[in-house]
Amino acid sequence: MNAADTARQALAYLVLLLVTFFICFPLIWALSTSLKPAKDVMATPPRVIPREVTLANYRNLITGKQQYFRADQSYVPTTAAPQHFTAWFGNSVVVSLGSTLISIVISTLAAYSITRFRYWGRRIVPYFSLLGYMIPSIILVFPLFLVMAEFRLTNSLWSLTFGYVSITLPFCMWLLWAFFRGIPIELEEAAMMDGAGRLRVFVDIVLPSAMPGIIAAAIFSMIVSWNDYLFARVFINSIENLPLTVGVMHFFEGVHVDWGLMMASAVLMTLPMALLFMLMQRHLVAGFGAGAVKG
Amino acid sequence: MTIRLEHICKHFGPVEVLKDIHLDFPERAFVTLVGPSGCGKTTLLRILAGLESASSGAIYHGTQKVSDLAPGKRDVAMVFQSYALYPHMNVFRNIAYGLKVRGTPKEETEQRVRDVARVLEIEHLLERKPKQLSGGQRQRVALGRAMVRKPWLFLMDEPLSNLDAKLRVTMRGELKRFHLRLETTTVYVTHDQLEAMTMSDKIAVMDHGVVQQYATPEEVYNRPANTFVAGFIGSPPMNFLDGAAIEDGKVTLDCGGARSSIAPSPLAGAARRNVLLGVRPQDLSVHDAAREHALPAEVSLVQLVGSEKLIDLNYGTNGRITAQVKAESPLAAGRKVWIGFDPARLHLFDPASGRNLALAENA
Amino acid sequence: MPDSVDWKVADRRIGILFIVPFVIAALVFMVYPVAEAVRLAFYEYNPLRPDDSHYVGLENFRAIFDDPLFWKSFEQAAVWTACSIVLQTVIGVALALLLHLPLRGISIFRGLLLFPYIVPTVVIALVLQWMLNAEIGVVNWSLKSAGLIDENIYWLATPSMAMVSTIALNVWKYTPFVTICVLARLQSIPLELYDAAKVDGAGALRRFFDVTLPQLAEVLTVVVVFRTIWTFNKFEEIYLLTKGGPGTSTFNLAIYSFEQSVANLKMGMGAATGVVMMLLLFAGSLIYMRVFHFAEEDTP
Repeated sequence: MNAADTARQALAYLVLLLVTFFICFPLIWALSTSLKPAKDVMATPPRVIPREVTLANYRNLITGKQQYFRADQSYVPTTAAPQHFTAWFGNSVVVSLGSTLISIVISTLAAYSITRFRYWGRRIVPYFSLLGYMIPSIILVFPLFLVMAEFRLTNSLWSLTFGYVSITLPFCMWLLWAFFRGIPIELEEAAMMDGAGRLRVFVDIVLPSAMPGIIAAAIFSMIVSWNDYLFARVFINSIENLPLTVGVMHFFEGVHVDWGLMMASAVLMTLPMALLFMLMQRHLVAGFGAGAVKG
Repeated sequence: MTIRLEHICKHFGPVEVLKDIHLDFPERAFVTLVGPSGCGKTTLLRILAGLESASSGAIYHGTQKVSDLAPGKRDVAMVFQSYALYPHMNVFRNIAYGLKVRGTPKEETEQRVRDVARVLEIEHLLERKPKQLSGGQRQRVALGRAMVRKPWLFLMDEPLSNLDAKLRVTMRGELKRFHLRLETTTVYVTHDQLEAMTMSDKIAVMDHGVVQQYATPEEVYNRPANTFVAGFIGSPPMNFLDGAAIEDGKVTLDCGGARSSIAPSPLAGAARRNVLLGVRPQDLSVHDAAREHALPAEVSLVQLVGSEKLIDLNYGTNGRITAQVKAESPLAAGRKVWIGFDPARLHLFDPASGRNLALAENA
Repeated sequence: MPDSVDWKVADRRIGILFIVPFVIAALVFMVYPVAEAVRLAFYEYNPLRPDDSHYVGLENFRAIFDDPLFWKSFEQAAVWTACSIVLQTVIGVALALLLHLPLRGISIFRGLLLFPYIVPTVVIALVLQWMLNAEIGVVNWSLKSAGLIDENIYWLATPSMAMVSTIALNVWKYTPFVTICVLARLQSIPLELYDAAKVDGAGALRRFFDVTLPQLAEVLTVVVVFRTIWTFNKFEEIYLLTKGGPGTSTFNLAIYSFEQSVANLKMGMGAATGVVMMLLLFAGSLIYMRVFHFAEEDTP
């Protein structure tokens, strides 16, 4: 390794550090703010590592206690009451899991069907899905809202669970189609020779082989559903039924904004996704590698 | 019970892949379907398995018509070219799968799997997953999976082609030994004529969806039905010489204008007729001096193949022929020699149809 | 006929059964909403008074094309997209080039790269609002103590700064994506090409231009086209930070459509904007397909 290579390596490490900093700093800062007692949040100079750590914000979110700001001996409500936070969290979980389940089941069955059977239109399906994937949700949200209104589902978690299918199904379909194409058909033929019928082959042989792709698609669905704001904003209007994304925006409605509380909610909102992401990292990268150039 | 294929035809859209295949497989025989890529041998195998359906025709096992049955219901076992071992199951469960699907009781399954594993010497691998096995080991597991079900027919789709050359030679013998031990009809597909020759009781040589000849290895080698079979079977491949004819009870060959007689004709008939002459390199003799019926030629290339030498020779204006001689032969390029033909080892084919004239006469 | 044997028929039925849920879901959740979105564009629709809705032909389109705010939104969307894409591409490629080294810990870092993508937009918008707060935000404090500025910058309260802030959010969230795609392509460039170039006497810079860049051309074009299509139509990345403000200075077409439907209760006009967006999207996809075909020819 010559001098040029060493210099390049050193530069690379430096840039690595810088980039890591930029990527992580917002969340680190949020975490830091959330752990500071109220008086330190706006103190200068701002410190990344808090002088004093308190879990008060998290406690307030989880127990739903109202925040008050003491100014001139009077109590002024800060950030809108966090009493719904746990409800929001639960809603997000239910809706994400629900829509993921629906999308995964539908797309797994469909992907198997179009790769193993021959009938008219089977080749259109993946490209049709890709097209559907590119449609921005702002176009879909209002017609879907009208559909939900028809079925009297608006303002319920069902509307979101089904609504999210429209934005998760296309990509799941595309991903799983690409994946199923790569499963060698000889495995199923061998199982059929062994005496297994089609359904048995699907459960015993195909599903286990498809598991990495299914997991990747499931993670993608979870992330998209958990992170969505627009659909929830349009479909839901009562505060208890909101998921986290829309709910935490309500925190801006107090007289004073309690940044500590806000940052704590930001952290709690990101935590499940971060955990999911860390646990399933290899699946995610593999899934995206399968020809997916998403935006 | 013999297995009969009756008038099997198969077409994929407009393409006819199999044309009126009509074969009998004797019980306990090792039958090989051999031919170049695209000849239809794999399709025929898959039709036997039930993975494809014939466009017309039927398959009988004894008196039972099996061509209507689902692959799982035929009680036929198949070894795939890629082995197709279930990647998420260990070796034991791979072998046991067929028994499990049929509802075999656990103890019996366990017993039978272990028996098969012992025979194949893979008992120590039962807990491993396929990706932890070598190519040869995987092949044994694939065999085990087929054997454990005790089917009435084994199908093998080029099982040795994924192995390296040395292992292939060993496995050829092993497969043959297993076949003899299992006493079950086996249909084996390969493109390698050597495998076909060494392992089979009967060979079906196929080309373009037609069985060119269905006979024992000895017959296929010594009495090939047509030029395709003659050229496909045997290594180094048979020489085919143009400009040959039968006249006046002799076989003559055109060498640059003149015709020289090279052997007494093995066929009867006085009328002159043009033939395509086939002769294997091993059946030629090369001499230093002229002798009766010998063909003068010049050595153009000598290749040493271990215990033999392959000699490329030019004769006449642009005739070329290859002969095989012992390695000790002192021949070198440029030498003038005389080629001797053994009349008993000549094959005469009709130039138009390629049919072996000797067999046609006896038909 | 062999094909009419029972087991084959039953087998085929399973195949059809498996695709039915998808067909239903696609019709209800994909085809219908798009068709309805197009239909709505030709109707006057007030969501609070649905029974009053009536057909108005091209009136909605005339209304939006006459609305200066529509054109302002379009122009701002174009500017926003162009800046975002340029930044994402340049930074993304630079990063990828630098990371294309057998450094230790690189795999951990590569995992980290996807992190902005999974963070909810709401979260990064909230955090940025906190960080960019003019009086008490950490960004202004850092810039002032580093001596780079004297006065607080109103990151979200002035039109130009709001633009910058939203672009920054977009770049933060999606640049890693470009990096990953480019890095993946870089790693599949056969090393022999570089060896051949070295033997031919090419220096590092030449090798970049003559070997690397051509190989990257395809993936870059695909990435850029795709990202442009997506960025033009983004809603949350701007709305959650500025609500399209201050005023309407960070409006794009998606926000314009949203405002028409929700604030002005003119769902017809919102839908008409949506139709325009879809047509632009369609045009972009055609470009993408043409490019993708070109890229696919050379892909092994």
